[in-house]
Amino acid sequence: MNQPIEFIPNLNLPGSFEPGGFADHTTPLIRNCWYVAGLASEISRDIISRRLLGVDVALYRTLAGEPIAVRNRCPHRSFPLAKGRLEGDILVCGYHGMQFDPSGRCVNMPSMLITPSNGQVRSFPLAERGPLVWIWMGDADRADEALVPDTHWLHDAGWKSVNGQFHIKSDYVAMHENLLDQTHFPFLHPGAIGTPEYARSKLHVRQEGEVVVIDRALKNSPPPGVYGVPTGLTGKPVDRYSEARFVSPALHTAYARIVDPDHVSGTAHTYRFNITHIFTPETNGSIHYWWFNSRDFKLDDQEADDYLHTASAKAYLEDVDALEWIMDVVKNDVEPQFDLNFAPDKPGLMMRRTLYDRAAAEAGVCLAPVTAEKV
Amino acid sequence: MAKRNIDVVVSSVRQLTSRVREYQLTAADGKALPVYEPGAHIAVHTDSADGSLLVRHYSLLGGTENADDPRHTYRIAVQREDRARGSAHIHATFAPGIRLQVAPPGNNFPLDRRDTHSLLIAGGIGITPIFSMARSLARRHREFSVVYAGRAPEQMALREALEHIAGTRVRFHYSDLAGSPNLQALLRDQPAGTTAYVCGPAPMVHATHEAAAALGWAPQRVRSELFTAGPTGDEVPFEVELRQSGRVIQVGRDASILDALTAAKVPVLWDCRRGECGLCPLPVVSADGPIDHRDRYLSDEEHASGETLCVCVSRIRGKRLVLDA
Repeated sequence: MNQPIEFIPNLNLPGSFEPGGFADHTTPLIRNCWYVAGLASEISRDIISRRLLGVDVALYRTLAGEPIAVRNRCPHRSFPLAKGRLEGDILVCGYHGMQFDPSGRCVNMPSMLITPSNGQVRSFPLAERGPLVWIWMGDADRADEALVPDTHWLHDAGWKSVNGQFHIKSDYVAMHENLLDQTHFPFLHPGAIGTPEYARSKLHVRQEGEVVVIDRALKNSPPPGVYGVPTGLTGKPVDRYSEARFVSPALHTAYARIVDPDHVSGTAHTYRFNITHIFTPETNGSIHYWWFNSRDFKLDDQEADDYLHTASAKAYLEDVDALEWIMDVVKNDVEPQFDLNFAPDKPGLMMRRTLYDRAAAEAGVCLAPVTAEKV
Repeated sequence: MAKRNIDVVVSSVRQLTSRVREYQLTAADGKALPVYEPGAHIAVHTDSADGSLLVRHYSLLGGTENADDPRHTYRIAVQREDRARGSAHIHATFAPGIRLQVAPPGNNFPLDRRDTHSLLIAGGIGITPIFSMARSLARRHREFSVVYAGRAPEQMALREALEHIAGTRVRFHYSDLAGSPNLQALLRDQPAGTTAYVCGPAPMVHATHEAAAALGWAPQRVRSELFTAGPTGDEVPFEVELRQSGRVIQVGRDASILDALTAAKVPVLWDCRRGECGLCPLPVVSADGPIDHRDRYLSDEEHASGETLCVCVSRIRGKRLVLDA
């Protein structure tokens, strides 16, 4: 209808978004994204609860083994459903016995003769992929399983992984920025994963849609311990190619290829490492962090497992400590500071702008550049 | 009971067919409206022609075939029924800029996202919840099929939008040419484990349940919305006297006793507004006409006794109801 539209209210949301902003620990969390709810091995017939993106979720499996996630809050009197019990596939609240099927629909309210048709607990879409169970906390209509990121190396036969997890009092924006910033390696993780030559090697940055990719090549240089020891190439000049990607708010992957140009076979030999960093915000200031260090060689070598597990856990703990110290300063120091940026911070800033624009879009604010045609 | 109504403004009107109009309702304060999932509906509260309250329930469409609605906007489609005063009044009066109220969304017809295959069946204006379900399934790339039956193509709202969304997964059935759809054949042809969702005229909904039962489907594999509480079109206005306070409240043809009491700021207990939760029954002192019980909560004996009624859905066919309240 050709009516004047002055009286139609504009979308009015708490907080404000300005074009050109960068996400930080105060930016609303991205919700329309697959995040990891937990390891497949954590979800069983014993109901567990976990706070994900600020929402308490109860997780269990049906008798057939299907993982199920529902809000950990009975719609009747907010009793945490994880403190209830399973009767077959039916989740029974521990307070008044209200019963929910795996879709979240109430199938019985014992104090009522009829089953209320409006009694539902919110259920969340899940997708199980190898060792991970992914959850969609946002608009359920957008929960397309094709959007679950590829992590096939975590369960393919040609790969072997070691893994660990942390609960961190920091924010996922800072964690992603840490991983896109490799110039900290030789200083925060001396000897283990960084060398000074590596920090100064030429960095290539590119953005593919919302994915930020950095890559470097450092040729003819001895590898750091974390690559030298498992490959047996310590002290030997090798070519090192590394690529790190901000895949999504939930995932950062790092691929490293160590090429031994002078392998005993007579031809160059490539050793591959895929490192998977998984973040699920618990709140704006805390995250669940799962890491996997995967390799395509020495698949049955316990010594390599032990070394990589110890070295990785040590390096990531150094990151965790650093980020918790930073968060403590950022939250409690009262004098404002606008952090300096240098050229190597570009990928982190690109990631932070992407997160910011996505948060704005989820809030209904379009930050796309205004063109001349637009009114 | 803390669920307060929300002020909205009609922000857009679009004629979908000769009898169906689509309305966008935008929050008057511009704030984000409560979120909802496919199958959800809202109660629209407005004033009827004689000034009495008019309340009608409409499914939320979620957006167009291409875009989601912004978070401060709800989208509904209203079919004008010749005998139904509510829809005719809405068509006559809802224009951009008109202010009204909606209740927060409820959902008695949820789509189970875990279905391996969903069959959606819409008859006529029953397309509205089915449309939002089809959008949801299509954008999540789930397995589904949809059948949309109507008298003739030009009378079927959202037909082209549904085709755009569902592509080859939609089948249209034109009953002016082909008669009633063969529901048993339709269900029989579904992949094993299919869950069916049906919304349309009551005979079609019943026939779907019966066809599924005849094929040995478990009852929970056919989902439909219960419309037992819906208006029948022959409601009469009456007045309610509250014995304890002496107040007299007018109940129009197009609103429930509960709607009239809450609009008059009479504090009453309620929750579900569909005759199920059992919070709203009030003791009846007298009624000068038969009570039309439309709830599921009270027993047959309680219905027969005439001593109480669920004020959210039930009413009388008379002039005066006296409640001990």
